[in-house]
Amino acid sequence: MAKELYFQDINVKDQMPVLVKGPVKHMQLVRYAGASGDFNPLHVDPEVGKAVGIGGQIAHGMLVMGFVGQALAGWIPKKYLRKFSVRFVGMTRLNEVVTVTGKVTDKKQESGNNIIRGEVFARDQKEELLIAGSFEAHLPEKK
Amino acid sequence: MADRSKINHEFPPFTYEVERGKMRELVQAIGDDNPIFLDKEAAIKEGYKDIPAFPTFATVPMNWSNTLLSIISDLKINFAMVLHGEEGYEYLQEIYPGDVLTGKIRVVSIDEKAGKSGSMDLVKLETMYTNQRNEPVLKANALIVERK
Repeated sequence: MAKELYFQDINVKDQMPVLVKGPVKHMQLVRYAGASGDFNPLHVDPEVGKAVGIGGQIAHGMLVMGFVGQALAGWIPKKYLRKFSVRFVGMTRLNEVVTVTGKVTDKKQESGNNIIRGEVFARDQKEELLIAGSFEAHLPEKK
Repeated sequence: MADRSKINHEFPPFTYEVERGKMRELVQAIGDDNPIFLDKEAAIKEGYKDIPAFPTFATVPMNWSNTLLSIISDLKINFAMVLHGEEGYEYLQEIYPGDVLTGKIRVVSIDEKAGKSGSMDLVKLETMYTNQRNEPVLKANALIVERK
């Protein structure tokens, strides 16, 4: 659970606690398909990925965005999160271990809000980029 | 080949009732053990009215209302060649169990781009979600890539 977080407590270059997820297994993709409603056979049928030329089964991009969301909401309380966007850079394959990192890149007060912005990344065990993203949060101030 | 005549087109709104069980299922499939997403008491203690929707929850109404599939076919996109390029959310209010969401999807743009393995169509979709009180709760921006 994210601890209460005040604007005074966080600074540019502060790192998000690292989150390691996986290895990603077929069964997790099946569960995620059922939960999210995304039954694209690329994610659940081992043969289809080979057939369409992406070299086999890949994880849902949204599952990996979910890993990043877990890391983010474990650091910054969900209620303060205002924006969260990602680019899906690389494909996540079976048995890969996903490491999520992030940091604060900007901190300012603007139109009555205490705004922090930052970047987030997900990489596989070969350090290849899976996701590059950004977030914005509005934090309370210590009185 | 994505249908260029659909640029700026707004699809008919769809509705989705937010179910507690479905919220939990998504969190468990991702494997997050954060109590605010699993335990109502813990969420209330942290200042929420109930369990709040997980940051990526908006993918659930989109898929389970079969909206995405029908839009992809309306846009004449070959589903077998679809990749997800980008996803972005703006959180305007918490989404809670029992909320009834209405989603309105607009085609923002369709562009062609040369990629490493041939050309691709890039389709930008914007979805605005309101709740049963007609309050805007979330804006989603998706980039869908069709390989050709």
